[in-house]
Amino acid sequence: MENEEMSREGEIDAAAVVARLIEKATSSTDHEVDPRLLKAIKSAVRSSDDEVRDAVRALMDQMKKQHSQVRYLAVLIVDELFMRSKLFRSLLVVNFDQFLSLSIGFRRNLPLPPPSTIASTLRSKSIEILEKWNASFGIHYRQLRLGFDYLKNTLKFQFPNRLENATRLQQERREREIRSKQILLNKFQSLKERYSLIKDEIQSTIDEIGECIEILHAKEADESIPAEDDEVEEYRPPALQQIRLDSLKEGEKVQESTENKAVFDVLRELHRLLVSKHLPAVQEWMSVLVRVDITDKFRDTALKEFIDLRNNILSVKKKCSELGCVFDDGPVQREDEEDLWEEGKIEINVAGESSGANSSVEGSAHIVTTDNGNSSAPHASKSSDDHVLNLTPERSKLLAEAPVVTWGLFLDNWGSNRDAPANQRGLELEGHWGRVDSDAVIPAEKIAELSVHRTLYKEQPVEIQPCHAPLKKGGLCQRRDLKVCPFHGPIVPRDSEGNPIEQIPRKGLAKGEPSAHAAEVVSVLAETETDPNMDKLTVEQVFKQAVRNVRERDVDVKTSKRAKLARVREHNEAVLRDAAVTSTSYSEAFGEHNEAFHGNKTGTKTKKATLSSMLRKKITAKDRIAQRLLSTRATDASSHQLMQGEDSKYREAFPNQW
Amino acid sequence: MWKEVRAREEGALPPNSFASRIRSRRTSTIELSHRKEIVSPHHGAVNSLQVDSIEGRYLLSGASDGSAAAFDVQHATDHEGDCLIAKHKSLFVVDKHLEFGHKYAISSVLWYPVDTGLFVTGSLDHHVKVWDTNLTQVVVDFKMPGKVYGTAMSAIATTHMLIAAGSEDVQVRLCDIASGAFTHTLSGHRDGVMTVEWSASSEWILMTGGCDGAIRFWDIRRAGCFLVLDQSRSQLGRRPPLSSNTLSSNSLKKGPISRTITSGQYSAKGLANQRKSPLGSAMKQLPSLRKGQFLSKGSTVQRLHPGMSSGQNRATAHYGAVTGLKATGDGMYLISSGSDSRLRVWDIESGCNTLVNFEAMRLLTTKALQLAISDDSSMVFVPCMASVKLYDVWSGMVCQTFHGHYESVNCCCFNSHDQELYTGSNDRQILVWSTPYSAIFEEEDEKKKSVTDQDNWSD
Repeated sequence: MENEEMSREGEIDAAAVVARLIEKATSSTDHEVDPRLLKAIKSAVRSSDDEVRDAVRALMDQMKKQHSQVRYLAVLIVDELFMRSKLFRSLLVVNFDQFLSLSIGFRRNLPLPPPSTIASTLRSKSIEILEKWNASFGIHYRQLRLGFDYLKNTLKFQFPNRLENATRLQQERREREIRSKQILLNKFQSLKERYSLIKDEIQSTIDEIGECIEILHAKEADESIPAEDDEVEEYRPPALQQIRLDSLKEGEKVQESTENKAVFDVLRELHRLLVSKHLPAVQEWMSVLVRVDITDKFRDTALKEFIDLRNNILSVKKKCSELGCVFDDGPVQREDEEDLWEEGKIEINVAGESSGANSSVEGSAHIVTTDNGNSSAPHASKSSDDHVLNLTPERSKLLAEAPVVTWGLFLDNWGSNRDAPANQRGLELEGHWGRVDSDAVIPAEKIAELSVHRTLYKEQPVEIQPCHAPLKKGGLCQRRDLKVCPFHGPIVPRDSEGNPIEQIPRKGLAKGEPSAHAAEVVSVLAETETDPNMDKLTVEQVFKQAVRNVRERDVDVKTSKRAKLARVREHNEAVLRDAAVTSTSYSEAFGEHNEAFHGNKTGTKTKKATLSSMLRKKITAKDRIAQRLLSTRATDASSHQLMQGEDSKYREAFPNQW
Repeated sequence: MWKEVRAREEGALPPNSFASRIRSRRTSTIELSHRKEIVSPHHGAVNSLQVDSIEGRYLLSGASDGSAAAFDVQHATDHEGDCLIAKHKSLFVVDKHLEFGHKYAISSVLWYPVDTGLFVTGSLDHHVKVWDTNLTQVVVDFKMPGKVYGTAMSAIATTHMLIAAGSEDVQVRLCDIASGAFTHTLSGHRDGVMTVEWSASSEWILMTGGCDGAIRFWDIRRAGCFLVLDQSRSQLGRRPPLSSNTLSSNSLKKGPISRTITSGQYSAKGLANQRKSPLGSAMKQLPSLRKGQFLSKGSTVQRLHPGMSSGQNRATAHYGAVTGLKATGDGMYLISSGSDSRLRVWDIESGCNTLVNFEAMRLLTTKALQLAISDDSSMVFVPCMASVKLYDVWSGMVCQTFHGHYESVNCCCFNSHDQELYTGSNDRQILVWSTPYSAIFEEEDEKKKSVTDQDNWSD
C-alpha cells in the first residue's frame, strides 16, 4: 500500500513523501508506530540527504503539535532515525533544547499537552531515549552531553541509568565469584592439611560398623529357626499371603533383644554418625574438590579416594538397612505423634458416640491387627468410623435428614404434646383477689402454638464471583458484583486469561422463547432415550442453532426494514439532487462528497478511537457524583435544609419567642 | 581558501586583508564546539567572562555563587574519549571560602589590561576587589556604597589605572589601584548604573549606562558629564567617510549639538560660538585626533554643565534601563542594549542614534548583559534569553542563532585570537563556540569517528 502511495506521490512531489508518511504515522492512536509505515519512512529517508532534512523538519513540526500522542509517536520515529543516520543526528542536535522541551517538557511555561497519561509515558520514554543517545553518541555531540547534563545535574531528573546499573551488577557478580573462589581455595587448603585425619576417622567408623554387623550375624543363626516352624502350621488365605511374606522378611532380620541390645546401641550410634556427619562431609569435600580451580596431583588423588570412601559408606549404609537396623529416630517420634493424634480424635468422636480408637479396635473382632501396632493405628481409627456408621444405618439416615436448628428453650419439650401446668413452680398467689386455680393446665395445642419455632431468615452466604474481565493494564478485574459489572457488563464465567467461556446463552432461557422450550423438551427426551453423554452435545448444538435462527430472523426483519427506508431516502435524495444540481461542477462535487461522507458514516458505525477522542475527558464516576452534588438545585436544597434545621433548633431553644 | 593562499603567495593579496578574510570567514562559521569543553566549577549562574587581551589565552569567569575562575583556553588539562574531547579545567577558583572572597554573587570580572598578574572582580556584596592572580589573594579592596553591577578598565590607558565601577548608587566611582582610593565620583545618573565602558579611542572618556535609561559620557579630566545620548536624536545610517564630504559631515556633527544649545540659557553664546568658528577652523580640526574633538566639545559643554539644560539632561537612550554597552574596536560607535529589548548603535562623535533596526529580540531585563563584538566590528553577539544571536551591526539582520544553553545567557565574550566565542549562562555552563575543524583534520579524525558515529542503516 505504501509503495503504491509512494509512487503516486513521487509523481507529484518527491519531497513531500516523507512528510506525508510521518504525518500518517503519527496520527495513530496506537502505542507503537505502524511497523510498515516506519519501514517506509526509513527507506524513504535513506534515499537522499534532502529527504533527511525533510524528515527532520516534518518531525519537528509534529513535535510542536499540542497532542502528546502525536509527539510520542514522533519521538519514536526520531529515535529510529537518530540511531541510524549521521546527518539526521547532526541536524537534530542543532535545536536540541527545543526538542527536549517538547518531548520532556522540562520548561515550566511549556508543559506537555494532554492527554496526561500519554504525556507521562512520553516523558519517561524521552528520558530513556536521551540516556541511550548520550551513551552511544554523546561523545560526538556536545548538545547531547549538555542536555543530558542539564536534566540530570541541574533539574535532577531521574534517569533509568541502564548502563550504569548493568555494569554495577556485573561488578557485583564478579566480586561474588572472586569471593567464593577464595573461600573454596581456603577450604581446599584446610582439607589438604586435615586430609589424612578425616580419612582415618571415617575409615575407623566404617570398620567398627562392620565389626558390629559381624557380631550380630553370629547370633542370628539360632533365631531364624522358629520362624520357619510357624510357617508350616499357617493356613493361607490369599489376601494374607502378602502380609505373611512381609512379616517373614521382617523375621529374617536380626531382632533386637536384651542380649544384643548393647551391640545395637553401638551400631545405631555409629550409623547415625556415618549418615549424618561423615556422608555429607565427604560429599561437601567432593564438591569442593570438583569446583576448585587448581590442577594438582593431590586434588586428583583426593577426589578419587573420596569417591571410593563415599561408595564405601553407601554400601555400609545399605548393609545396615538390609540388616533391619535403620535406626532413625523416626519411629520413636511417630509413636508420640500418634498418641497425640488419637487423643484429638477421641474428643471429636465423643459426639459421634464412638469410643477411643484403640478400644474400638480391640472390641471389633473382624479387624485384623497386624503385628506392628504403629502402622495399624490410623487404619484402625478410620475403620472405627466406618463401624459406627454401619451399626446404625437408620440413625445416620435420620441424621442426614434432620434440620439444623439453633438452640432455644423450645428444645426442652421438643416433640412432646403433653399439657403443662400453668403454675409450674408452685407460687403462692396470696392476696390475689381473683379466683386462683392452682391446677390450671395449659393445653397442648396452646403450648404448641406458643412454642412455634421462629427463626430469622438468614441468607445463605453466597460467594460472589469476581468479574475477571481482562484489564488494560494487565490482570483481571477483581470487582465482585452479583450480575453486572459496571465496567465490563454482565458477569460470565471466564477462563484464566479472562476470555469468556463459550456457553449456552442464558438469556434465551430467561426470555422463555418457544423454540428454547422446545429444544429443552427435545433434550430431555433425547437424554432419556439414548446415551446421555453423546446426545448432550448434539442437543446443545441444536439448541444454539435454534436460538441463532430466531435471532437471525429478527435481524433480517429489521435490516430489511432499514434497507427499505434507505432505498426510499436514496431515491428522494437523488430526485432532489437532480432538481437542485445545476450544471456547475462544484455543486456536483459537493453532492458526491456528501454522499461519500454519508456512506462512510453508515459503514463504520462503531466509533474508532481518534486523536481528538483521546483528548476528550473521560467521564468518571467522580464526575457524575460531582454533577449530582454540585448542581445548583442540590446545593440550594441542602442549604435550605440546613436553614430549616437551625430554625427548628432555635424555636426549641426559645419557645417563648415568636 | 586555497585560492587565497595562492593569491597571497603571488602577492596579489596584501597580508592584512588575507588575515582579515580568514578571520571573518572563521567568525561566520562559528558553531558549538564538539571538541572543546570548559568544565565549569561554578555552582551558580555565570555572570561575566573575559579573555585577556595580551595573549588571548586566559579566560576569567565570575559567577553568582561568589566564585571566580580562570581557564587556559589554548591548552587542555584533560582529554576524554580517545582525545576527542578536550576538557579545560579551571586553573584556579576563588570563592567565598577564601578569607577575603566575595560573599555574594560576582557581577563582573576583568583582567588588568596590561598583564594577567592582576584581575578585578565586582560583586553584589558592595565590594570591588583586585586580586593577585598568582597568589589568588586580594590586593586591594574598594568598598562601594551599593551593589556593584559593572566594572571596567581602559585598555588603552597609559597615564592612569582606574577602575570605573557602576553600582546601585547613582554615582559612578573611579577606583585607583595605585592609591587604593576613589579618585572620582561622577554624579549625574538618576538611578543605579548598570554598565560602564571606557572609550576605545580616548583614555579619558568613560561611558556609563544607567537604570534611568540614560547613557552618559564623562571626560574624567573635567567635572560633570558632557553628553547624554538621546534616542530621539538620530542620523540616518552610517556616517559618511570623512574624506568624501567634509562639509556635510561637519554640519551633521555640529548640527544637533547647536540645536540643543539653542534651547539652553546660553543660547546666544552658543550661537556666537558657532558663528565665530569659521569654516577653516573646522577643516583644520578634521585631521586632528578625535581626542582633540572631544576636548573642543568638552569646552562648550563644560560651561553648560552645572545647570545643564533640563531638556538635555533628561534625555534617554532606552526606555527602561540600559543593560549593556559595547564600544566598537575603532572607538567610533557604541552599541547599547536596553531592557526595552532594543539594540541601538550610536555614533560616538555626533552622539546620534544611527537608527539601525535590529530584528526582533528578547533581552534579559534584570541583569547587566555583556555583549561581544567581532574583531572587525561588523558583527555583534547578543545574549537573547537562552540563545545567543549574531547580528550584523549595519544591517541589523540576524546572521546566526546559537542554541545550546538551557537557561538565560548572561554574557558572551569573543576571543579574536582564535575566533572563538565563550558564553556564560544561568545553567552554570560556559560554552565554547568555534569554527568546526577544517577538512584537513577531518580526514584524520574520520578513522577515529568511524567506529561510533556513522550511518547505520540495518534495513
